[in-house]
Amino acid sequence: MRVDLSSDEIRSSLVAEIEELCGQDVLKCYQCGRCSAGCPIVEEMDLLPNQVSRLIQLGLEQEVLNSKTVWLCVSCFMCQSRCPQGVDLPTLMDSLRYLATKRGYDRFGPNEIDRETIMRAPQQGVVSAYRKLSS
Amino acid sequence: MEIPYYPGCTLKVKATALEQSTVAAFAALNVSLKELPRWTCCGAVYPLMGTRIAGLAAPIRILREAKLMGSDTMVTACAFCFNVLKRANRDIAADPLCKRRINAYLADDVRVDEATNEKIMQWPEYAGEDDVKVLHLLELLRDRVGFGKLSAAVKKPLRGLRVAPYYGCTLLRPKEIALDDPEQPVIMHDLLRSLGAEPVDFPFLNECCASFLSLAKPETALRPSYQIVSSAEAEGAQVLAVTCPLCYYNMESRQSEIREQYPDFKGMPVFYFTELLALALGVSLDQAIGWKDHTVEVRGLLESVGLRDRDK
Repeated sequence: MRVDLSSDEIRSSLVAEIEELCGQDVLKCYQCGRCSAGCPIVEEMDLLPNQVSRLIQLGLEQEVLNSKTVWLCVSCFMCQSRCPQGVDLPTLMDSLRYLATKRGYDRFGPNEIDRETIMRAPQQGVVSAYRKLSS
Repeated sequence: MEIPYYPGCTLKVKATALEQSTVAAFAALNVSLKELPRWTCCGAVYPLMGTRIAGLAAPIRILREAKLMGSDTMVTACAFCFNVLKRANRDIAADPLCKRRINAYLADDVRVDEATNEKIMQWPEYAGEDDVKVLHLLELLRDRVGFGKLSAAVKKPLRGLRVAPYYGCTLLRPKEIALDDPEQPVIMHDLLRSLGAEPVDFPFLNECCASFLSLAKPETALRPSYQIVSSAEAEGAQVLAVTCPLCYYNMESRQSEIREQYPDFKGMPVFYFTELLALALGVSLDQAIGWKDHTVEVRGLLESVGLRDRDK
């Protein structure tokens, strides 16, 4: 993908802000790609999980917070358990959903879940979908 | 053996097959599961952003209830609850400030004692895993009952049944709370072996089934379940054994939707591991199997391995 870089964005406060929100140091990521290789939902994502880390490092807030990827992560923790640098991507994704919601980016909301599905699915699925998608 | 038991919401509504077979199987093992007198939802997902501690209130209140029962252990049947409770338990034990904050938060609880009608406003401080240890049913079987002893208690060995043990995510990850090796778990394999069944290894045994994405994006979420079940089938399994009600929903209840999207999908019967446990321990078919939860026909298969009700 093509992105426009500028010194303003690279020096933006996004990395620090995320670290303050969720304790994750995105600068540790060196793009090995093990997170993306193990992700069960990666085929549906517009940004690979490792690209999310890279774009944050470059300060590209819009590209990250507008991506579908942020709303597709289900916190299965496969990436976290395999990351050689100890980056906890599911936690990072939670903080990105929080930022996207707070800053008014286009997002997937729990109200889009249809009623029939809610009646049919197990309670833990309903509660986790609502909590994760409204964070 | 008597042990406090936290079933969680799903087992009382949609996963009655899991609850019913759990209670019957452990009764057959002379393990008395004492349901907590009061409990709420655990929150289903762990609050990952540590700065927002309100999400810890539900799990810690539940664990404090087990402490009030005078126990140092609490068992849970749901994989999501296990994950949330064990993480909360571990995190407050490791972080004194967090422990103080959540205890201060819960100190405001007021409850009316139903017997005496008196207000209860004093609560013991809850210290995390040093107070009450969280065990999943599988750990209870492995560490307290013992697979050797379990094997000796089997009345109807599931001989000849080839079962793919599906572990999913929340029992194995994050690794800090895993009940087994996150990449090469064996606990369900060992359980199945002690029941006389043949565990079938398959590469997708610890892959995510798409979890709650099946609610948010029902079509998108079919692919992982398709891959998992097909992989088990390719390795020669006849049935899939699961622990988690959401995995059950994605891989059992949605099999006809998977087939619509992937016409080559064969599908297979899916059981909660406790249903197989109860069957092997000689519990009657109607008590062991939650018939109404099985959309895929299972009776023929059970009969083929010699499991049928004598009175039918």
